[in-house]
Amino acid sequence: MATIGAHGITARLPDGFEGRIFVRQASVGVTYPVGQFATFPIPDGIGDFGSGAVTLMGPSDVFATLFEYGPESLGTALFARQGRPTGFSGADFSPMTLRRGIPGQSGTQWFFTESGRPFSFYAVLGSHAQRPALVPHVNTLLSSLTLSPAAVADHPGARPRWN
Amino acid sequence: MVALVIVSTFVVLVLGILVAGLLRSHADILRSLHELGVGVGDPSAAPAPAPGANPVTVTTPASSPALGVAPAVAGVTPTGDARAIAVDNSDDLTLLGFLSSGCTGCAAFWDALQDAGRLQLPDRTRVVIVTKGPDREVPSEVRLRATGQVPVVMSTDAWVDYEVPGSPFFVLVDGATGRKVGQGVASQVGQLAELVRRAEHDRSSAAGGRGRGDGSPGGPAREAAADEVLAAAGIFPGDASLYPRTLDDVFPHGRAVPTE
Repeated sequence: MATIGAHGITARLPDGFEGRIFVRQASVGVTYPVGQFATFPIPDGIGDFGSGAVTLMGPSDVFATLFEYGPESLGTALFARQGRPTGFSGADFSPMTLRRGIPGQSGTQWFFTESGRPFSFYAVLGSHAQRPALVPHVNTLLSSLTLSPAAVADHPGARPRWN
Repeated sequence: MVALVIVSTFVVLVLGILVAGLLRSHADILRSLHELGVGVGDPSAAPAPAPGANPVTVTTPASSPALGVAPAVAGVTPTGDARAIAVDNSDDLTLLGFLSSGCTGCAAFWDALQDAGRLQLPDRTRVVIVTKGPDREVPSEVRLRATGQVPVVMSTDAWVDYEVPGSPFFVLVDGATGRKVGQGVASQVGQLAELVRRAEHDRSSAAGGRGRGDGSPGGPAREAAADEVLAAAGIFPGDASLYPRTLDDVFPHGRAVPTE
């Protein structure tokens, strides 16, 4: 079981998972941390939400992305939920939730705020029919994540103000 | 006069013995150096190796059947991101190259491992470069050598886990079993690639379609997956549909008849 951590996100990866936590370099604008986790080799150069990777999944595979949004998202209705979901059931996954529809696969996406940071958690199952066996892997991964408060400077509300 | 001749003869004999001993000692040293791969010339008149062509020493399962389980590699990237590589989550081979930014013998491997065309490894071979962690390496130096073509993980723990004696060092892992299938030192790119190809050939011959090469689970995982699908359909062990007696049991809705 490997543990990785960067940018205020730590993952104690369940057996069989690999992952990466990174901030994509951008020539314009500001980018925020992304965590990608999968039960298959994650290629370099894939999209934040797994484009380029989900097509490589086998039916027994799982892919998940933890994506942080900018502080301007804090307090919005989309991120009103406090804390990540406590666990998913098979009913939480739907083929209609996929960013890119691939026959046989299904996904789920949740938006929430945790430790003062707005996130979305997006997971894809390699086989919707095998969700009873695959969803527990997603839940184990989700519970293995530790999300720390962002650095003080990252929060506009915490920045020093002129009196 | 006779005594002088006798003394001179004795001195010449002693000196001859000393010279013969020195020549023998020198030959032993040359032979040892040659066996270590750093000799000059070949006493057995075999073709001389090319300059810098030191032999690859890789342990294979045939010579060491218990290389052991290969642990995951987890650390940071040269840019400060986090990265974990699982070596047991696919049917592919994973070639772990333990390199340093400062070792002269590593330079050729930094280039070759990040250039798939040059190394010409088997198609389904994943290459991962592992350096020591930022506590023992200079990230900026590693960043200069990393091209982004293959994952580069900085992890001192991985060097300890894999008991790396020094760089360059290589470990080949079979993803289907999660076990090491070869490891050792190398100083020539071509020989390393050949050894990987040979390991892939041996593995393919031994496995014969095992694992998840078609994207499906193999063995017990496949059986468990089939059981789950059947259970979801309400079919449990002992169900009559699992034991057909006639073709009508197999095709309860009638058999399709080919049309002309």
